Amino acid sequence: MINMNDPITKPLGRRGVLALLGGVVAAGLLSTQPARALGTSHSALAFDGDALVVAGSQVWRFDPSGVASLLPEPRTPIRALACHPDRRGRLFAALEGGGLDRFDDGGRTWAAASDGLPLAQVTALAIAAGAPDTVYAALAGDGLWRSEDAGTSWSFVMDRPWLAEAEREVLTLASVNLASGMGGIWIYAGTDQGVTRVPDCFCRWQDVVAGDAMDALVAGTPPAPEAPLPKGEPVSALVAAHSAPERLYAALPSGIWVSADGGVVWENKSSLHAQALAVDQVDPNHIAADTNTELKHSRDGGTTWATLAAL
Amino acid sequence: MTRLGHYAAGLVVALGSAAWVIADDATTVPEGLTFLGAPVTAEQVALGQEVYAANCAVCHGAKLEGEPDWKRRKDTGRMPAPPHDANGHTWHHADRQLFTITRLGVSAIVPGYESDMPGFEGTLSDDEIKAVLAFIKSTWPERERGFQAEVTANDEGGS
Ligand code: HEC
Repeated sequence: MINMNDPITKPLGRRGVLALLGGVVAAGLLSTQPARALGTSHSALAFDGDALVVAGSQVWRFDPSGVASLLPEPRTPIRALACHPDRRGRLFAALEGGGLDRFDDGGRTWAAASDGLPLAQVTALAIAAGAPDTVYAALAGDGLWRSEDAGTSWSFVMDRPWLAEAEREVLTLASVNLASGMGGIWIYAGTDQGVTRVPDCFCRWQDVVAGDAMDALVAGTPPAPEAPLPKGEPVSALVAAHSAPERLYAALPSGIWVSADGGVVWENKSSLHAQALAVDQVDPNHIAADTNTELKHSRDGGTTWATLAAL
Repeated sequence: MTRLGHYAAGLVVALGSAAWVIADDATTVPEGLTFLGAPVTAEQVALGQEVYAANCAVCHGAKLEGEPDWKRRKDTGRMPAPPHDANGHTWHHADRQLFTITRLGVSAIVPGYESDMPGFEGTLSDDEIKAVLAFIKSTWPERERGFQAEVTANDEGGS
């Protein structure tokens, strides 16, 4: 039992903590040691409505009343998770080693949702902000694939981004509900060379600039980004607030960075080093982070953090 | 067959061949089609078709089908020429953007972007560029035309 409103351990009896941590540690979420032993160094986070789902080789769901429940075990550890506010209880999970599964509320098992998808590692997942049945998956060494029928069928849509003279793996993917000027919205990707984005018509990967592509055209040259993310750092997690799409959070080795304008100006909010991030679908100030040793959350947009579960 | 039947059959044949002639020789312009705010004319589309064959088809394909495997980057890191038909993404761009890309290349709208799309400024006149894009637009199905008309309308400053 965990209460997201209270910083950890207190409301939990010692047995509760041990039971919870036992489960979570086994999931490879809170300790690098067991994570290595289990062959998974990744864990995944997603908000499902106001509940937080944490997945590794086990999947825990923390509801806001403080109850942590265990969901059916996935076939292999989970590397990335995605959930859409209009489809509560439905989760898409990228599996360690390749493949993608779907879980529906109340279900007993995860079901394969990767028909037509090559069996390569899915490195990142996102659900289209405005189309809850449209799912994007980034494949290692390959590119972006799209399903428009909630994982029933897939088609290739775009190569991986080209940055600093090479194609880059997509480490994290976010559908950001900001107009691209091309009749759709943007898909942002975090790579080991920073953030890039592509319109959802998939014409081309491009840098984040102020305004939409049309503004850049009108101005002739775009205004230089005023405060970009630090160069040369991998972006291991990037999430957009569903209820405030211009609000982005990024996890870098240098900490948690926040943008209030769709990624033009970034501010370093905390030195927290997170592997995974998730933002509450209703409250854009409420974010969760997995630091490899702790599961943390912040209710003030990343300035102060409380530990939800710790060793 | 009755006399009337023979007559009707003859009429159908005549109409059929007339329609075929129209589709093949004269150029049909979808109703209401505009480029940069001006109505697209049949002469413009006919000119555009010639300009396309001479300047664009070599990369974008004689049938506007794009290069093979056009979603996969080449070894150079650059993207192949995409189709200009409904399978591509040309119809996601506003008129002004299409005009700018064709005249100046892709880096004119995405600064610093490296691509194999040449800018045609100096090679083609503005009227020829407008004509070739009017021709491309005239080949799109209704849905794509409607989508692109909306993108163009939403484009700040419009045409
Ligand atoms: C030498 C090959 C070549 C020729 C010739 C060429 N193109 Fe292109 N074109 C490209 C390539 C390659 C791209 C894709 C650029 C990218 O995204 O990297 C492109 C992209 C475009 C785009 C953008 C499409 C989109 O949806 O983003 C337009 C518009 C376009 N070309 C129009 C034309 C027109 C009109 C002509 C003839 C006047 C022409 N091109 C001739 C290679 C060519």
